[in-house]
Amino acid sequence: MKRIEVKLALPVVAPLLDVIKGMADSLRRNLAAPLGLTDLDAEFGSAWTDELMAAQNEDVQTLLALFNDEFFADGVIAFDEGNAEQIVRATAAVRLRLREYYLKPLGDETLESGNVELEQLDEPLRKAFMCYLFLATIQELIIQHLDSSILES
Amino acid sequence: MTKAQAKTQGTPAPQAETELALQGAWRVVVLNDPVNLMSYVVLVFKKVFGFDEQTARRHMLEVHEQGRSVVWSGLREKAEAYAFTLQQWHLTAVLESDEAH
Repeated sequence: MKRIEVKLALPVVAPLLDVIKGMADSLRRNLAAPLGLTDLDAEFGSAWTDELMAAQNEDVQTLLALFNDEFFADGVIAFDEGNAEQIVRATAAVRLRLREYYLKPLGDETLESGNVELEQLDEPLRKAFMCYLFLATIQELIIQHLDSSILES
Repeated sequence: MTKAQAKTQGTPAPQAETELALQGAWRVVVLNDPVNLMSYVVLVFKKVFGFDEQTARRHMLEVHEQGRSVVWSGLREKAEAYAFTLQQWHLTAVLESDEAH
């Protein structure tokens, strides 16, 4: 089984985890992306939403599980065929939530280009943007190294 | 049954029209968002629709540059299933009836 281990700088990443956990809590009650279909009948729509929420929560729990004792001991997180798909989805969900909660003041064009002067942001916004970049990096790593596992699963 | 027949055969017309509308062709349209990475959107298109790299990238660029891309069209039931799966991957998708175009 293909496995990627990434050693992270604990002093940089650990402070971001509170923000990520806050977004994870928020995702327990909200879909990360707005429901695009508005013409579903109420019962069907509700069942749909429940199923999406359950899958989303499972994905997010898999993401949070990366930051376990091993991470706090030596800064290492690991991806493999067993968690890659869920983590890649969970990082998308948390990034969307970060935009909703913190990053809208930056504007969508800035967010899309990534051209942000970190020093000019106040602390909560800077931390949220660092989480946003950190999760994008995780996503890119998985897509670069484990995309075939995801496509074949 | 054609739409014209449905209209001339009396009650229950609203139900018949609804059924006909659902039987027609529907488009699955993916909308742009400023968050999801291009590489992620390409991966999702390959995974969900079985697109090759080139097709997935073309649709991703359409979404990015034009704000939307029609990624599939066909029966409503299957279109809903695709929309559901795209939603699981946190892409925003809407369904449009082909008759609207």
